[in-house]
Amino acid sequence: MIGAGIKRGTAELAVLSVLEGGSLHGYEMARRIEQQTKGKLRFTLAALYPMLYRMEQRRWIRGSWETSDSGRRRRCYRLTAAGKKKLSPLRQEWSELFRALRRLKKVAHA
Amino acid sequence: MPDWQELVRQRLSGLALDSAETEEVHAELAAHLEESYESLRTKGLPEQAAMQQTLAQVADWQDLRRRIQTARAKENIMNDRVRQIWLPGFVTLVLTTCVLSLNEIFGPKPWILARDGNLPVAVVYIPWLVVLPLVGAMGAYLSWRAGGTKRAILSSIIFPVLPFLASILVALPVSLLFDHFIAHNIAPMSLFLSLPGWVLAPAVALLAGGLPAQFFLSRRLHSRRIAGS
Repeated sequence: MIGAGIKRGTAELAVLSVLEGGSLHGYEMARRIEQQTKGKLRFTLAALYPMLYRMEQRRWIRGSWETSDSGRRRRCYRLTAAGKKKLSPLRQEWSELFRALRRLKKVAHA
Repeated sequence: MPDWQELVRQRLSGLALDSAETEEVHAELAAHLEESYESLRTKGLPEQAAMQQTLAQVADWQDLRRRIQTARAKENIMNDRVRQIWLPGFVTLVLTTCVLSLNEIFGPKPWILARDGNLPVAVVYIPWLVVLPLVGAMGAYLSWRAGGTKRAILSSIIFPVLPFLASILVALPVSLLFDHFIAHNIAPMSLFLSLPGWVLAPAVALLAGGLPAQFFLSRRLHSRRIAGS
């Protein structure tokens, strides 16, 4: 299981990545992240919404109310141009981190 | 089924946002809880267990209230552009102007470049230019601290020379237009030649402090992110 510190750091990347595929409401976002990471990343309500609101303030995502076919109103978020721009350097930073960790692992085994 | 909206309203009471925004937050969180609960019920969990598991998503409602407030209200006070460009830019502009005034009052006479018998071509305040790298570095730091992008940081660094540039750009065509009629009062060539002294030299001085500061700060942030993750 991935520790809390790493999870915090990856949370924004996970949200931006999952929104790259289209607009989603909070619950669906959490469900997809959990599903796609095979349960390694799990967002509770308490972890998800403060982060979504912060990302919205930074204009990386934008929320708007939508009504589903069943008549249920949900706030759906979509990626903004600024969010799309943020995604690529974030991905790069994380892949650099993982590369560095892999190198460390190789050194340890050598 | 529980009234999720009411439950959220009670547990998040005291949320210091305006009423419309508070309602919006309540509705959104209630919808999330409702979907969680329904999903658990669909999986076959009894009502009580589903309820418990749904509510377990929030261990501390007061903490959640505080974090939502911080995320939604605090950052509303100043938007990103104000914090990342206008505020650092204003600070560097004020500092630049103050240092120039102090230099004029207390400092040595400026170095004046003039052609014989003509208007001065360039007036250069050396102590002012010496201090400007520090001002540029401060602009870069303030913008970086507010999460500014490279472009925002660069704008904050060179912000103080923009009024000079704008004045010259406005005055130059005006002087060209009226020079023919009021020959000795406005000298377009002097205005044009004042660009190096009032725009280029200060810009270079500001960038001389600002760019290394930006480079150092972004490297520090990068290594901190790598180390802290």
